[in-house]
Amino acid sequence: MPPDIRNFFGGGSQKPSTAAKKASDNPAPKKKRGRKVVDDSDDEEITETKPKKAELEKAKSKKEKPQPKIEETTSSEYFASNSKAKTSKSTPIRAKPHENKTTRNVDTTPSKPRATNGATPSSRRSTRNIPARKYADNETDDKARVLDDDEEGNDDIHADEFARKIRNGQDDYEESDESHGSPIRHKARTANGTQKQVKVPTKLKPEAGAEMSGAAGYDAPGEAKSAKEKLTAPSTAGRKRKSKSAELEEDDFLEEDEVPKKRARKTPTKATAKKATKREEKEESKEMQAIFDSIPTVRAPTPPARDPNNKYQYNANQHHAPPPGAGSKVPPTGAENCLAGLTFVFTGVLDTLEREEGQALVKRHGGKVTTGPSSKTSYVVLGNDAGPKKLETIAKLKLKTINEDGLFELIRRLPPNGGDSKAAEKHAEKNEKEEKAIREAAAEMERTDREAAKAKAAMKVGQDGHRVTSSASSQQRKAPAADSRLWTDKYAPTAVSMVCGNKGQVEKLQNWLRKWHNNAKYHFKKAGPDGSGVFRAAMIHGPPGIGKTTAAHLVAKLEGFDIVESNASDTRSKKLVEDGLRGVLDTTSLLGYFSGDGKKVEASKRKLVLIMDEVDGMSAGDRGGVGALAAVAKKTSVPMILICNERRLPKMKPFDFVTWDVPFRRPTADMIRARLKTICYREGMDLPASVLDALIEGSHSDIRQIINMISTTKLDRQTMDFDDGKAMSKAWEKHVILKPWDIVGKILKSQMFAPSSTATLNDKIELYFNDHEFSYLMLQENYLKTQPALINNYSGRERNLKLLEFADKAASSISDGDLVDRMIHGTQQQWSLMPTHAVFSFVRPASYMYGNFGERVGFVSWLGQNSKSGKLSRYVKEMQGHMRLRASGDRHEIRQQYMPLLWQKTVKVLQDKGKEKVPEVIDLMDSYFLTKEDYDAMIELGLGPMSEDNVKIDSQAKATFTRMYNAQSHPLPFMKASSVVAPKAAKKVKPDLEDAIDESDGEELLAENEVKEDEEEDVDLKKDKYIKAPKKKHAAKGAAKSAPKGKKRGKKAADEGGDEVGDEVDDSESEEEVKKPKKGAARGGRKGKGKA
Amino acid sequence: MALLVDKLRPRSLDALTYHPDLSSRLSALASSADFPHTLFYGPSGAGKKTRILALLRSIYGAGVEKIKIDARVFATSTGRKLEFNIVSSVYHLEITPSDVGNHDRVVIQELLKEVAQTQQVDLNARQRFKVVVINEADSLTRDAQAALRRTMEKYSANVRLILLANSTAGIIAPIRSRTLLIRVPAPTEPEICAVLHHATATQKWKHIPALNERIARESGRNLRRALLMLEAVYATTPDPTEKTAIPPPDWEMLIAQIADDIIAERSPKQILVVRAKLYDLLTHCIPPTMVIKTLCWKLVDRVDAELKPEMVRWAAFYEHRIKLGSKVIFHLEAYVAKVMRVYEMFYAGMGLDLD
Repeated sequence: MPPDIRNFFGGGSQKPSTAAKKASDNPAPKKKRGRKVVDDSDDEEITETKPKKAELEKAKSKKEKPQPKIEETTSSEYFASNSKAKTSKSTPIRAKPHENKTTRNVDTTPSKPRATNGATPSSRRSTRNIPARKYADNETDDKARVLDDDEEGNDDIHADEFARKIRNGQDDYEESDESHGSPIRHKARTANGTQKQVKVPTKLKPEAGAEMSGAAGYDAPGEAKSAKEKLTAPSTAGRKRKSKSAELEEDDFLEEDEVPKKRARKTPTKATAKKATKREEKEESKEMQAIFDSIPTVRAPTPPARDPNNKYQYNANQHHAPPPGAGSKVPPTGAENCLAGLTFVFTGVLDTLEREEGQALVKRHGGKVTTGPSSKTSYVVLGNDAGPKKLETIAKLKLKTINEDGLFELIRRLPPNGGDSKAAEKHAEKNEKEEKAIREAAAEMERTDREAAKAKAAMKVGQDGHRVTSSASSQQRKAPAADSRLWTDKYAPTAVSMVCGNKGQVEKLQNWLRKWHNNAKYHFKKAGPDGSGVFRAAMIHGPPGIGKTTAAHLVAKLEGFDIVESNASDTRSKKLVEDGLRGVLDTTSLLGYFSGDGKKVEASKRKLVLIMDEVDGMSAGDRGGVGALAAVAKKTSVPMILICNERRLPKMKPFDFVTWDVPFRRPTADMIRARLKTICYREGMDLPASVLDALIEGSHSDIRQIINMISTTKLDRQTMDFDDGKAMSKAWEKHVILKPWDIVGKILKSQMFAPSSTATLNDKIELYFNDHEFSYLMLQENYLKTQPALINNYSGRERNLKLLEFADKAASSISDGDLVDRMIHGTQQQWSLMPTHAVFSFVRPASYMYGNFGERVGFVSWLGQNSKSGKLSRYVKEMQGHMRLRASGDRHEIRQQYMPLLWQKTVKVLQDKGKEKVPEVIDLMDSYFLTKEDYDAMIELGLGPMSEDNVKIDSQAKATFTRMYNAQSHPLPFMKASSVVAPKAAKKVKPDLEDAIDESDGEELLAENEVKEDEEEDVDLKKDKYIKAPKKKHAAKGAAKSAPKGKKRGKKAADEGGDEVGDEVDDSESEEEVKKPKKGAARGGRKGKGKA
Repeated sequence: MALLVDKLRPRSLDALTYHPDLSSRLSALASSADFPHTLFYGPSGAGKKTRILALLRSIYGAGVEKIKIDARVFATSTGRKLEFNIVSSVYHLEITPSDVGNHDRVVIQELLKEVAQTQQVDLNARQRFKVVVINEADSLTRDAQAALRRTMEKYSANVRLILLANSTAGIIAPIRSRTLLIRVPAPTEPEICAVLHHATATQKWKHIPALNERIARESGRNLRRALLMLEAVYATTPDPTEKTAIPPPDWEMLIAQIADDIIAERSPKQILVVRAKLYDLLTHCIPPTMVIKTLCWKLVDRVDAELKPEMVRWAAFYEHRIKLGSKVIFHLEAYVAKVMRVYEMFYAGMGLDLD
């Protein structure tokens, strides 16, 4: 139907415009014009409408035996018989189309030969008689088209309405209609049942109806009409129609008018069509009606009065009891597809079925399940505690409500494919239509295939040395032997229209690509309407299997670009990206200059597009690849299309603002289903829609996977039923690994352990295994943040007691779990204990503490704390290593006993006494061989009252300390081998010191030089042995003099520059040092030694 | 200007102020030509290390005091590089294998063999063997201790071991049987007071016997701690009196805070608050057993007499678990939860029957 509708509107609007043009060269919009014209000349309009009406009338009166009459006469008749028409309203509209046809034929003879198709318009013209000729031609064409469509659509429409009626459950109406067929009835019906539908048209042209009625009044007198007016009239009439249907009372003639235009107004047609269809229905579906009637309906409870203050507690239902009689009834198995065309809504808790089961049951039998009741709902399956909102809607729409038994009854009694009920029929028709479209698509596909094959064959022939001209011979060679391509290739879309979903995005991409070279002329400075003009590269991203690669290739092909592709199968490290792409970026395709034998050179092929697939697959081996690619994308001279799954990954960050993002979404089931049906049809398979839907749902709209599934099925059978589909998609299910957050959210949510929960212990353990390294840590982090559901029944002190009891149980269970963990990860490596660990550390604690989250789910802090403790314990170790020559304690004693005192004597002193005490502090530190790093570590190691946050050393004291410390040489017990090279650079970046440097640049310079000298000496002393410092000073000095060689060696090692003589090295070092003076200077030299 | 505790450390056996029996036995050992493998054990702050250094000095003379630190790199079987510091003089070598955690076996195997296979270089040395001092021997892994067993016998010509431990519990029996066990008991309080008095005298500080006694008591007969406390008192209050408070170390203050938190409010939320503080303690290198022990004592101070045994019982229970498990915080938290629950139950008059 949709195409019809479109046609209608298109046609409708066209008409007036053409007419208007001819009549008055008015450039105003069509609609307006139409109206205007009407206003200007009501009379004329009338005449126009008359003929139609007349025809209709005839039809009605004679029922399908239209007699060709002269229009004039008919019109006059018509006028005369306005009242008659009313009575005859109930005449089946169905007949009308036929009438139309016949009348058309009759009419056509007088009118032009052209009009054969669109008889009605021509007839109109003829009614108008003499005047219309000029425009008539144009008109006829348009109208003819429209009419044709209408005819085709007629049946459908009836069916539709029928179906609707059924849904609305207005059996009474139908009956009464049949018996009386009075217009009034009709009104009532529409009022009740179709109100909504009617609304749409009324909206379109509320005034039109009024005009029409006015026009009708005029009709009687009016004879003279200008052709133009006539022309416009039909269109307005069409619009009016809609309004009419809303206000059915209007004249018969209106309805009659409708007939020819029926199609055009979807909704209005309903109203009219109903009458006609009623009869049909009656006749057809007596048995069905009986069935439907026999289904016990349930009166929906009146929705509770809305209390704005009292919000409905959705949470209250959250852990609703399980279906009371779960499992007591066996759901029936009905005939196949017996619920076809029916739409169900479930609400409340059913007696024996879980809601999901109920929905699956309906789906299995071909019914449709929606979540909210609407006028299209056939049945509401009502359970206990239905939502008040839904009840309200039900009451408002007067929907049929049944209970579970009713549903079972329906399934049991309805014949396969829904029998001949209206709904089923409509469904069948819809299917048929779909089928038709599918067949067309399939045919189209076949055609293109054949063409391709032909072309191929031709090429082959050419290559073989035969003359290509023998097209006959190539044609004879039929399509190539069985196509061995994968279905996914075979049925890849070849036109934008064939892409499933994301059409807008594909078009955007196509536009971008088309304009690319144009944009290039402006150096990508012009953003263009969609902002894509400034990007040299586009980035398609979306989940797998929805056609990103296909779309990219398709677009490139359609725009005549030659494709260079690179994907994860190519190594794409930084270097390779840079080198590899350099070859591509500034080139044009050879295809623009040469081509295979016998083919024309296509100049357009000269353009290249680079498709980088699976960009997020650049990983370990492709170091720097992403960055390089982003850099290339910034200045490429060839359009690039990048494709990835996950755009928001941190590693895709370099592409921000570099590429034009084109997000692809999962197509909806409808989009995919059509395509799949086409494929099935071509492959000669018969898969019902419900099966396809199951596949689509099961695969999360992954088209590629579904096609693969179908193609697998094809290997051994021709069809598949609902359960097979479910089973298959289950088997092919992509297991989504939950993120730690989701895991903990799931296990702790109140439903998980509620009595009604169907989750088994294994399910819960399974959750743990989603990420066995994090899940229990996450639980441990968060189990205390819930409002445990178990304590809901307690209050006051008891509540707190219970709360603590559960917390304690959970905590001790986690503690138990840790013991198991040790057995797994410790020396025993008993991995088979993993499920035990899952239960102890994850499931059991959650079973006590499950409930709603009061706050955000936090991430595991254990990891951070663990690494921090690792860092700090390294500090302590280092401190202890330094102090070792003096203090005998191990590192725990150092931390617990020495450190507090040392802190008092250094940090605290600096904080309280300021800079005067600096020398003392440094002296103390030196006596324990503590370095500046140890001092910083000490600050960091403080706890509680001594914690780092509480340390506020005034910046001057700090500066003085730093300066003085750097200015002196310090005894150093030894140098860590590892700290010689790397960490030095890092340590220099201490922001605090910057002030100090600024303050005293000059001093610093001097000091630095002195330090240098000292250092040199120092260096000598230390040359190879880490002799205990105090002694060193004496002993080493002697040594330095005696062994200059050793010294040199040490220095060399220290400076990577290598060859220079010691002094030079020092100079260069000192310059550096001046820039960033720190403790560094002295240490630098020493460390070098250490290394040596 | 080192701290008192190190400045005043006696350097010869004669200068040791307490355990005269032990001192005389050690000097006898030192003078004999045969020196057995020994295992010094006793609580920390009793003077083990001091005695060992004095012993070494009496064996080799002042040369042992010329020490240096070497950084050595060992490779584990998996190729990981371990950095390891060795304090050494010409005559002896001091190592702390527990620095490298679980890889201590590698160090023991490689280093000890290397040392054992070379003879004493100094021909003038009084003894032909070198001494290897192993600190924290009780935290050696089983593997490392097993590696030690045979080495001790095989290379005894070149090497003597002195093991240093807080208790013999962590030392496997074969090693205990191969060593001479020397227990260094903690000094008594009067002994500590004497040392403190000596210390104040050298510093020309005011002598306050009552304060010294208090310090001796508070220190738990740990002389090192006592001296540090003494110095802390004089550092914080220039003119201390008998009543001057002894500043507790930072971590102890934090644990006291935790105990207060637990008593003040008992709820899951409070457990979260406590958890943050426990994490703080652990990350700042306070050993978990120390945390749970201290916390337990702090709690015992704060609860009803009937609850005290419960506090201790659960502390013991979870301390054991800390040793058995791997993620310390779980057990500490379980202890806190348990304490809260027990406390709450007791004050709700429900008795202490859990489950």
